[in-house]
Amino acid sequence: MNKYFEFQNAVKLLCGDSALERLANELEHLGARAPMLLSDAVLAKIGTMQQVVDAMAAEGCTPACTFTDIPVDSSLKVVNDIAALYRSSGCDSLVAVGGGSVIDTAKGVRLVLSQEAEDILAIGGVENLVRGQYIPFVVVPTTAGTGSECTGVAVIRNDANGVKMEFLSPFVEPDVAVIDPRMTAGLPPKATASTGFDAMVHAIEACTCLQANPMSTAYGTTAIKLICENLEEATRNGSNKKARYAMAVASTMAGIAFSNSMVGAVHAIGHALGGVSHVPHAVAMTILLPHVMRYNLERCTESYAALLPWLVGMDAAMATPAEKRAAAAIEAVEGLARRLNTLCGLPLTLREAGVSRDDFAKVAEFAVNDGALIVNPRAADEAQVIEILNAAY
Amino acid sequence: MMKLALQKLTVGIVLRVVHAALVELYGLDSRVREEFDRMPEGMSYALQTGYAAPELYVQWKDGRLLNLKKIENPTCALRLKSTGISFRMFTGQMGLAQAYAQHAFSMQGEIADVMRLARLVNLVEGYLFPKFITKHILTDIPALQVNPLRVYGRIFCGFLTGRYN
Repeated sequence: MNKYFEFQNAVKLLCGDSALERLANELEHLGARAPMLLSDAVLAKIGTMQQVVDAMAAEGCTPACTFTDIPVDSSLKVVNDIAALYRSSGCDSLVAVGGGSVIDTAKGVRLVLSQEAEDILAIGGVENLVRGQYIPFVVVPTTAGTGSECTGVAVIRNDANGVKMEFLSPFVEPDVAVIDPRMTAGLPPKATASTGFDAMVHAIEACTCLQANPMSTAYGTTAIKLICENLEEATRNGSNKKARYAMAVASTMAGIAFSNSMVGAVHAIGHALGGVSHVPHAVAMTILLPHVMRYNLERCTESYAALLPWLVGMDAAMATPAEKRAAAAIEAVEGLARRLNTLCGLPLTLREAGVSRDDFAKVAEFAVNDGALIVNPRAADEAQVIEILNAAY
Repeated sequence: MMKLALQKLTVGIVLRVVHAALVELYGLDSRVREEFDRMPEGMSYALQTGYAAPELYVQWKDGRLLNLKKIENPTCALRLKSTGISFRMFTGQMGLAQAYAQHAFSMQGEIADVMRLARLVNLVEGYLFPKFITKHILTDIPALQVNPLRVYGRIFCGFLTGRYN
């Protein structure tokens, strides 16, 4: 047991069928009358955002302002611009509909507004902020992977240096998250697979990094079980509501887990790959996980072995000799990635993801400066990061 | 109260030794030198160790790590949440990674700057503390490029000659 640990999850979860229809009621209870709706152009185009608008309108709630130009890798400038628009539009609350980029942008906007700041860069840090002005904040995730709806961190790109910055504060957590399986029903197979694998990485790193604690491990291990049981089916058959729902819940649980015990080297290197080589976050996670697990193995024999029952089931885990369980856990993760590759072409190597070896030095430099590396069970310098990148190429 | 005062006194002394070790290791350890050489000119750190407790303000300027009385807007400010935590950190009972994992400090600035400091502190601890301590507080014990006694010797001489003032 940890000598000391902290755990927080203040997000109210609305999960399942008809969750969306309850959104307006929640906004009313939070005192929100003029919400600003944040989303991206794709979700606006394919009608996902409209589903949310319709559900709100049916209960008498209309956004005071809508912003749908949030890019895939949002930036500090986007956050500052939206905050300015919020102020000039007379909004009083935020509703974010989207994946990780939209939700993290909205978290950044909430921070800027609640701290009454002009520039998010001026308030960056770790657990450094006081509560500030209350801004009601509801999120509707449209992928099952980031878990951002329940985390106390916002990851936002700094265009000035290409680095993905982390803003850690309990005050970025939304008030309410709407986990409605209809929101992920239209997700293409490859996006379903990669974002689902991202949730797997959150859960595994949360259970094995230095900050892991009994509470986060309980969430993380259950998330791993749900992902193993449902990710392939959700990828193969996107209309399977049961699998979609299970994946949405798994993603949220993995988010709660890593929000309270952090992530590790997979994320540190993945953030750097995103910043330098523009590899989509979830794709980087899929490629890196087994290689980082092998790198960490000497420090994680027990913790990886403990994950095996959740990855392959109790019977199969018990049939594996105790000394081989940690390695078997890595093989189970690799096997899942390979099956997803067969199902939808999810990349398994950095070469397939279009990364050039010329980027490795810069990626390593960024990775060792990423906060996620501090709680990785094994330290890594730039040379060791390059070794991992070479193994994943 | 006596215990708290002793803890603050100890932390204050160790802070000065840590600064001195960084100054000396710049000339003795290639990894420390590389970290500082990559540091932006004027980069500054503030470290508060608790309520009414010792503070450390350092700035990298003109190839030297200056120990200043106060820096108004440091690039990176770390605030340990209690004197007890600071005492544990500066007496080899808890490493920086463990402190982070235990939410022992808050930070204003960019996380990348904390990572840079963490690497430097890990190297300093590798020299100042014996292995039976570092194996409990560091995720990996750094290879030492010079004998720690040489580092201690130079720090001792440095204090005698007022090199760190």
